Amino acid sequence: MEQFEMLKALAETNVESFMFYILATISILLAYGVILDRTIIRSGFILIGVFGSICGLFLLLQAQFLALAQLMIYAVGITLVVVIALMLTNPRMEKSQLSTAAPANQLGAFMVAVGLFMTIYLSVRPENWTLSSEPLDMNNVQVLGRALTTDYSLPFEFASVLLLAALIGAVMLAKAEKPPKPGEEDFEYSVVEDSAAEPVASKR
Amino acid sequence: MTSSVATKSQSPVQAMSYALAYAIAVCFVVGAYATGNLDNFVSMTGLSSVLESWALKDYTELLAFVLIVLLGSTVALLGGQTSIIMAVGTVGSFFALTLNQHPLIQYLSLAAVLFAIGLYGMVVSRNAVRVLMAIELMLNAVNINLVAFARYVDPVQVKGQLFAIFVITVAAAEAAVGLAIVLSIYRNTSTVDMERFNLLKW
Amino acid sequence: MRNGAEILKLGTLTITWWCIIFGAVWIACYLVGVAIPMLLSSYDSDAARITAETCRALTPILSVLVFIPINAMFMVLFERRGLAIFTVRLGPNRVGPDGYLQTAADAVKLLFKEDITPHGADAFMFTLAPIVFFAPSIFGAMPLLAAVTNYHELFQIVNLPTGIFFILAASSVPVVGIVMGGWASNNKYSLVGGLRSAAQAISYEIPLVLSLVTICLLAGSLDVVEIMKQQAGGILNWNILGGGALRGLDSALALKFSNSAPALQELSAKSFDQVLKTAYSDPAAAALGLVAGQDSMATIASIIAVVVLMACVLIAAGLYMTGACAEINRIPFDLPEAESELVSGYNTEYSGIKFAIFFLAEFTNLFVVASIFVVMFLGGGDCPVPAWLGNMLGGPQMASAINQVLSPLIAIKFVDPPTLFAAIWVILKVYGIVFFAVLVRGTLPRFRIDQLMDFGWKRLIPLSLIVFVLVVFAREFVNVHVGS
Repeated sequence: MEQFEMLKALAETNVESFMFYILATISILLAYGVILDRTIIRSGFILIGVFGSICGLFLLLQAQFLALAQLMIYAVGITLVVVIALMLTNPRMEKSQLSTAAPANQLGAFMVAVGLFMTIYLSVRPENWTLSSEPLDMNNVQVLGRALTTDYSLPFEFASVLLLAALIGAVMLAKAEKPPKPGEEDFEYSVVEDSAAEPVASKR
Repeated sequence: MTSSVATKSQSPVQAMSYALAYAIAVCFVVGAYATGNLDNFVSMTGLSSVLESWALKDYTELLAFVLIVLLGSTVALLGGQTSIIMAVGTVGSFFALTLNQHPLIQYLSLAAVLFAIGLYGMVVSRNAVRVLMAIELMLNAVNINLVAFARYVDPVQVKGQLFAIFVITVAAAEAAVGLAIVLSIYRNTSTVDMERFNLLKW
Repeated sequence: MRNGAEILKLGTLTITWWCIIFGAVWIACYLVGVAIPMLLSSYDSDAARITAETCRALTPILSVLVFIPINAMFMVLFERRGLAIFTVRLGPNRVGPDGYLQTAADAVKLLFKEDITPHGADAFMFTLAPIVFFAPSIFGAMPLLAAVTNYHELFQIVNLPTGIFFILAASSVPVVGIVMGGWASNNKYSLVGGLRSAAQAISYEIPLVLSLVTICLLAGSLDVVEIMKQQAGGILNWNILGGGALRGLDSALALKFSNSAPALQELSAKSFDQVLKTAYSDPAAAALGLVAGQDSMATIASIIAVVVLMACVLIAAGLYMTGACAEINRIPFDLPEAESELVSGYNTEYSGIKFAIFFLAEFTNLFVVASIFVVMFLGGGDCPVPAWLGNMLGGPQMASAINQVLSPLIAIKFVDPPTLFAAIWVILKVYGIVFFAVLVRGTLPRFRIDQLMDFGWKRLIPLSLIVFVLVVFAREFVNVHVGS
């Protein structure tokens, strides 16, 4: 009987923190997978896992709308585009043949990262903010919508303009040049290939 | 760089076993900290007076962190597999540093860890697309910050969530343009190596 | 004549399988959600209470898990028999009585096949892909459960305030599984199938989401149960007919047929201001009231608003079906698995249980998509006959007779009449949509990939944006008219 009571009390207080630590561990490990996995396309898929676990963290923080937007936009939209870009730039699906950073550079980057983390960690103290103990409404989509269309309508419009500009810019940048006329084809392609191949050959 | 030389001369099995031993050691350290045994250990060995002189007596978690980092660098120098050591060390020190903190601090620390990982990946990786992925990771870490603030500091107006929406928007635009740039560079130079993106180098 | 007999056979087969599927789900839900807690309630201990609560909380998951495999088996059979009728063939008719057990045999065969991982494949990703493809459709179905069971108390916990958004987010995940499987198979056909699927899903998600957002705008809510409740009360209230544009007509007809002449008198004799005030919420009511000869301008405005709303919602429904067909890779959008070009695309290398999971998920997705359509456009578990017509046709007497027959079952809480009727209507409607999808499959040829992209980006997305804006204006049109 008492065990059940204890179990219930424990579950009520700790289930959130328990879930947090599970999701945090998953996301940290997967983040390492993203940057360290040798097969780059696989690290693209691991990135989806990172975003999925961050979506779970948002659900824990009771930001339902944002969690779902995260899943839809980041985990599926952006990351799929990244994976497709990886497949386009790594056509033979082999392990990446790129040069790796020098060990000294790696060590330096690691030190900088640890230093950055320690700086942030030591500077964030709960005393710095007036913590509010008010419960967050689960259904805060209305609050978000109202704020976006009243107080924050100008940034919202700017964001949409930015998205449109990025869309057009991305299409313009990624669009392949028109294929040349049949007569000129050989000439054009040979020039492009030569200019591309030369620096590669000289480096090897 | 003795560590890299040592890594190459040893077999992968040995490197792996070093890393596993390190993982067990980290588990012990975190367990000792979580159950309070680390405090007892500190007071027993007389380290507490040293810590007190540095005004660090209340920060046992920092001691655990330093312990984990020292252990990790030792094992890495001995020739353990560095990627596993880094991952285990990060998770262990994240546990040690946040176990007894306010939830807000836990979330902020997680965001800091992810941001630092993204920074490290951005500097170290040579593939341009992986650099973009690391940047996405950093943007997401910032999002965690914003949403955590919305939950614990401003639960009525949830301004943090609003800003997170804008961050997502900007990240989408950034990803689209960044990938388009990478693709067009790839078409011209047939490589995505960051070292070779030196067209503007004098 | 031969075809007529086949159609009859399909009908009996369908009804038999419905009884099997929904009987199994119903009994499972009853045992776990009602019977076990009732038995446990006689023991007054904490352990018993916690077990009972856990059982009740697990009922939605259990119902879905029981439902999905049996239902997919039936849907495969249904599709094959339906296609056979459309192409004047016989279809599977050997295994079991008249082919009833054909897909059960297929399932057994698939489970016993060797599970091959091709050489050079990424084994972990190869295994993960079917799971990523399948799991979201289970989660996505959850909020729908609350809506289609008429908000039964056992299924309340799966309802979310952001229900439709949750469903959309969950239904966008399976494409990751397809790309993953296509890449991990180490096969160029699979890779092309996966890439095609990604491009297609990203393009067609936009009209899909925009058409559902249009409905959410009409309903003013993201909650599926809320949207379903707003459509209660017969076919005239359903979203497919304008999302409440005809609600006024419905109430006027109800008044007329309730033989309460004074009430009708009251409706047509309302003062001008009052009628205009109702015009915003009930354009059709205003129209009816105004045809009596009060203001022709307002009448025309209301009628235009009603017509525009109905047209827009019909187009939105068409857009949703098109986008959904593309999202779940059904013909005519089944380019990712085009057998003739890509040797069935992303699942070329899959065999055994993994292929079975892909197959299961495909048909489950079709079912989920059809249920979303039913909840968003066709009123969920709502009876299509309006109450006033039902009263004239003797609906209450029939209902009470059915209640009489079922009373022993109601007494042990095995049957809850509102849930039962809702379930029956949902089944009929959902399988109507599934039948439509089968009909489309039997009729239309496959798109070419560039036609697909053109159709998506140059036709559907502009059209969905236009519909979205038109709905906003149609709702505001009458409002402006009142203001002037």
